[in-house]
Amino acid sequence: MASPEVHHLFHHPIADHSFSADKQTLAVARDTSVELYARTGNGFKLKDELKGHDKTVTSVDIALKSGRIVTCSQDRNALVWEPSPTGYKPTLVLLRINRAATSVRWSPSETKFAVGSGARAIAICYFEEENDWWVSKHIKKPIRSTITTVAWHPNSVLLAAGSTDAHARVFSSFIKGVDERPEPGVWGERLPFNTVCGEYLNNSAGWVHAVSFSPSGDALAFAAHDSSITVVYPNGADEPPRAVISVSTQLLPFMSLIWNGESEIIAAGHDCEAYRFKGNERGWQLTGSLESKGRAGPGDAREETAFNMFKQMDLKGKTKDDTQLKTVHQNTISTIRVYEGSGGAVRKFSTSGVDGRVVIWNA
Amino acid sequence: MSQSLRPYLQCVRSTLTSALSLSNFSSQASERHNVPEIEAKTSPEVLLNPLTISRNENERVLIEPSINSVRISIKIKQADEIENILVHKFTRFLTQRAEAFFILRRKPVKGYDISFLVTNFHTEEMLKHKLVDFIIQFMEEVDKEISEMKLFLNARARFVAESFLTPFD
Amino acid sequence: MSIIQQVSNASLGDNWRTINIDLLDPDSSSNFDTSALHPALDPVSEQDVRALGQHVRQQLRGGDAEGALRTALENAPYGGDAAAKEVHLQTVTEVLQSIKASEMTPMLQRIFGAPGGGELLDVLMKYLYKGMASSSSPSSSSTPAKRAGSNLTPQSTGFSQMGGRPGAQNESSGAAMSVLLSWHEKVVDVAGLGCITRCMTDFRKV
Repeated sequence: MASPEVHHLFHHPIADHSFSADKQTLAVARDTSVELYARTGNGFKLKDELKGHDKTVTSVDIALKSGRIVTCSQDRNALVWEPSPTGYKPTLVLLRINRAATSVRWSPSETKFAVGSGARAIAICYFEEENDWWVSKHIKKPIRSTITTVAWHPNSVLLAAGSTDAHARVFSSFIKGVDERPEPGVWGERLPFNTVCGEYLNNSAGWVHAVSFSPSGDALAFAAHDSSITVVYPNGADEPPRAVISVSTQLLPFMSLIWNGESEIIAAGHDCEAYRFKGNERGWQLTGSLESKGRAGPGDAREETAFNMFKQMDLKGKTKDDTQLKTVHQNTISTIRVYEGSGGAVRKFSTSGVDGRVVIWNA
Repeated sequence: MSQSLRPYLQCVRSTLTSALSLSNFSSQASERHNVPEIEAKTSPEVLLNPLTISRNENERVLIEPSINSVRISIKIKQADEIENILVHKFTRFLTQRAEAFFILRRKPVKGYDISFLVTNFHTEEMLKHKLVDFIIQFMEEVDKEISEMKLFLNARARFVAESFLTPFD
Repeated sequence: MSIIQQVSNASLGDNWRTINIDLLDPDSSSNFDTSALHPALDPVSEQDVRALGQHVRQQLRGGDAEGALRTALENAPYGGDAAAKEVHLQTVTEVLQSIKASEMTPMLQRIFGAPGGGELLDVLMKYLYKGMASSSSPSSSSTPAKRAGSNLTPQSTGFSQMGGRPGAQNESSGAAMSVLLSWHEKVVDVAGLGCITRCMTDFRKV
């Protein structure tokens, strides 16, 4: 396996990152602004900074086709940045939420985006031509607590949301005039706005940190704080799902996950490394980490010679230097995104973490 | 007794490592605020079950986790009155300088001698495994410190008493 | 026109300022119903728990420590009241106390390897913590058992007349604690840190 590409951008936590369609631009949320990096050779150089928020930016997403960037922050606002020859220009978004926004994602059709918030509502925003702004419709019932994450179904109508009330729900966000009527599928038939197509809770009820639909949209996976991931295979609107499979791991909780085809999931979180899960409707298992263990440590190799050992003992009073973790990321991984892939299968994926690194891995 | 120290510290270490899985969480109760939820306790769903690890009745650790903060309270072994006073003075010395410590809480939780409050901002700036190492080291050394202080105290008291009573001989 | 000094029937006395309005507001975030976080639990009566305890003790006397542990762990009274849970905690403690140190790890690995074993170890971990929490209260609870509650060891009664160092009581609970702690270490070796996170997040109290 080729070694991953590590980009240590700065020493602050990265809440979220997003690559543009041509992978030449990387948007990274850093504290109250979003920094745009352009790829130069093997690295990234700071190109632009989008300053528009007063408080921590919690999420950033680049629309692949149109190049628009949407950001949301703890100051209850979201902004859509339009690319223009003179840089990016912000456009007003009327979110109408009264708590922090936690997560934002463009729909696959890029005509709307969903913002999860601490106001216990999801705002689905679409563009209104007459006034040149983005207006929102709220999904409120039956959400009882902060929404931590949102994910779209490939048909741009169904939306999955995970929340701190330990439920992962699937809603319909169909907006007349913006969306086309979706074909009936395993999630249901008639889907007016705010229909709950499914609500899932796993046994130990931890907060849901990440949700994702499979590439075909027929299955939903979510990662919860009880160190487990759960995969749901639905069976139509009114019937119980075909299968709800929960995999409890021995590791620390996962913060983010992606699908690699229909039978593999890659998840990463507080263990600072990515793990692979394989399975299907009948069952899922954790197959292993994506990093090879036993590396000599990132960068310079630490010799385990006796000389070095005594030198460390003399210098620091202890026998092993354990300040650096053996993994590439030195702190929690907060986001994992598909970098390069086709038709659902992922060849490369990128992770960003609290240590300020963006790493591109081979799947 | 000392053979239970290692499993005790190991237990605290593994529980702390799991409890330190914190993330940035903005307050649900007040807009534009970001408070440690374990202190504010405004919403029950973001708090987790508190866990106690005890070595015996006099030494225990209470770990109260939540989504963005963890409170760690330690009860230090105090066998007699003089150790009570010494522990009280020692913790007072530390808590009065709590700003320099970052993770120290100024008042201990009721029933315990000293408390730490670790928030997601601390785990972002500092390495989690080193934070755990620090707390374990603290627990190991505080017992040694208290015994050392007691010994010195007794030695000084003996010396003073001797020199005071010598003229009366 | 009512002036504040007038005490009308509608006013709630002098301390109306101390009313916590958030708790009365059904829409506020502090009114989260935590029972929504777990499926409905069947009520379990104390008799059932005692009967189960007898069954487990029988298995222990028959020499089947692993079977006893499994039975105790599989039938945790989530829906019972506090007394029922205490009784079960005692049962589990007994089982744990009777298993030798050298047998702990192989037994744990066998339980973990069996289907549904991860869950059993999670419940075990919950009882370990419960045991440690209850033993730090004044009642002498020596709970080496992971699941079971605290057994009252014979020598811990009768607080010694001399003040100063707490004598025998401390030592016996100390021994019990160290058994709990060594079980904890072994369980973490087998089940990992995920077991502890599940202990923290699970709202079903054992």
